Amino acid sequence: MSLRVLLNLVPLAAKQLYRHRIRTLLTVAGIGAGMFLFSLVESMQQAVAGATEANAEDVTLVVYRENRFCPSTSRLPIYYEDEIRKIPGVREVIPIQITVNNCGASLDIITFRGVPPNRLPSYAPEIEVIAGSLEEWGRIDDGALVGRTFAQKRGLAPGEAFEAAGVRVRVAGIIDSPYPQDNNVAYVHLPFLQQASRRGLGEVTQFNVRVSNAEQVERVANAIDERFASSEEPTHTQPEKAFFAQTARELIELTGFTRWIGLGAVIAVLGLVANAVLLVVRTRIRENAVLQTLGYPDPAVGWLVLLEGMLLGMAGGLLGTGGAMGFLAAARITFGNEGQVLAVLADPTILVRGLLLALGLGALAALYPAWIAVRNPIVESLRS
Amino acid sequence: MSTSNDILVRCRGVTKQYKKGETLVTPLESLDLDVPRGDFLAMMGPSGSGKTTLLNLLSGIDQPTSGTIEFDGMEIQDLPRRKLAGWRARHVGYIFQLYHLVPVLTAFENVELPLLLDDMSRRDRRERVEAALSLVGLADRVHHYPRELSGGQEQRVAIARALVADPALLVADEPTGDLDREAADAILGLLQTLVREQHKTVVMVTHDPRAADAAMRILHLEKGRLQEAAV
Ligand SMILES: Nc1ncnc2c1ncn2[C@@H]1O[C@H](COP(=O)(O)OP(=O)(O)O)[C@@H](O)[C@H]1O
Ligand SMILES: [Mg+2]
Repeated sequence: MSLRVLLNLVPLAAKQLYRHRIRTLLTVAGIGAGMFLFSLVESMQQAVAGATEANAEDVTLVVYRENRFCPSTSRLPIYYEDEIRKIPGVREVIPIQITVNNCGASLDIITFRGVPPNRLPSYAPEIEVIAGSLEEWGRIDDGALVGRTFAQKRGLAPGEAFEAAGVRVRVAGIIDSPYPQDNNVAYVHLPFLQQASRRGLGEVTQFNVRVSNAEQVERVANAIDERFASSEEPTHTQPEKAFFAQTARELIELTGFTRWIGLGAVIAVLGLVANAVLLVVRTRIRENAVLQTLGYPDPAVGWLVLLEGMLLGMAGGLLGTGGAMGFLAAARITFGNEGQVLAVLADPTILVRGLLLALGLGALAALYPAWIAVRNPIVESLRS
Repeated sequence: MSTSNDILVRCRGVTKQYKKGETLVTPLESLDLDVPRGDFLAMMGPSGSGKTTLLNLLSGIDQPTSGTIEFDGMEIQDLPRRKLAGWRARHVGYIFQLYHLVPVLTAFENVELPLLLDDMSRRDRRERVEAALSLVGLADRVHHYPRELSGGQEQRVAIARALVADPALLVADEPTGDLDREAADAILGLLQTLVREQHKTVVMVTHDPRAADAAMRILHLEKGRLQEAAV
């Protein structure tokens, strides 16, 4: 059977679905609900994977107080910075004070990162200011450079003020970074944050270290921890993503569990399509036998049934996955743990994957009904 | 004049048996039949005498238990299912008593169905569908749905559908059985025209003696055997 013939059959399949409008709509709504769930789960998994799966180019280390997790309990002397800088392979170090409104797992985490204002550009040259300006941020003591996702979620624009975790700041600029974490936090001046959160000027929460090249990451991390092993405040240094994976592990376990929800949604979709198509095929035994009488070969009749399943899947996929993308774009969901923030973003690759999956599920679910449609002798089906 | 070329369908020793539970039913037994090209043959006989079974064999939607069926010089009884479908698409049009149009499709779309199997441009399809519909006198009902047509009109659409791929043989199973006198006469007239002007060969099953009178020849089936009667 040629592609042209197959394409000729598509409108025919669509008209058959249109014939049972209510049933089709209900089925599509059901598939949509399943695909909506599936796409949300996938988006969450993708957010976690992006934040925790190491890749070969990662060169950022996080130096934290050993055996501490919540930012408020990690206190490191600020002079460690100079010591870390001396270690071979270190390209840049920046001391960071972290203040969060909520140290537990939460959907509403606000994280301030206090950094020396003149050092941010050289530490993170990839950061792009998309509104407001860097100079303005340098000028005002209580200025904040707010990550893109953060700003969108709270509806913040340059010039506005906001308060969280007992810290009141003015938005000096909005930033965009290829590193998702930077888009979810607000950068403020280190001395300002130290004062505002009543911490001594001599201590910070962590140091972020950029290593010259990826091969040296492990060596540098070990060297840092060895350097402070016998100090009063020993350190634990890890790649940023490993650090995330460790501090947010409860959250990650929880999102890992949602895989089952995604799988359940997929199975529900399969069942829905199979049921709908099977019903339709059962009521059309004779009609399909008429098509066979007209000369339709078994594959053509089978494809008609498969196409109906695929169209149902596509429609439900568009509704559900498209709906999920719209929902994520509008709701701007972030969640986090111990100061780490994950943004669940609407990603076009998930849209494509969701649609393909829905199409595939539709075809798979229609396989058995397609076989039912052609398995009996024509004369028997005509007599039925 | 009776060279084998003039015989479109030739059945020899055709037997059809079905298993019904434990018992064996034999709707057709050792049937010999020649249908000349251009014939309009009416097949009569009591209910259960094997008329539909015979049409099913002639049209290749069923296969005989034994015997041979030659169509235009080619034996079709052993063709595999797949080839038989292609053969039907080219050579036979089947007309049912209850029309069996697809209810979601318009008259045009119903007639178009057989052509969807061909690599044919949309434009060629449209021309052929429109020609078939005007041949049956429904040029003004092209975009009507079956539920918007009378029984007689539905049967005309079904005839157009059987015709559209230009097969040599049309088989009709009680095509007027569900129609009133007037509509039935129109359908019979149409079949006569198709034989006369389009050189079709028609095998029609009917209960109705008046319908049979429209044919050129009448055969009687009785318990699976043929009894020829002169017209
Ligand atoms: N597919 C089948 N399975 C079993 N029995 C059949 C089948 N087709 C026809 N028969 C039997 O064969 C006999 C002839 O049927 P049919 O050809 O439909 O008769 P007619 O069309 O002359 O009324 C009947 O007894 C019928 O029950
Ligand atoms: Mg019958």
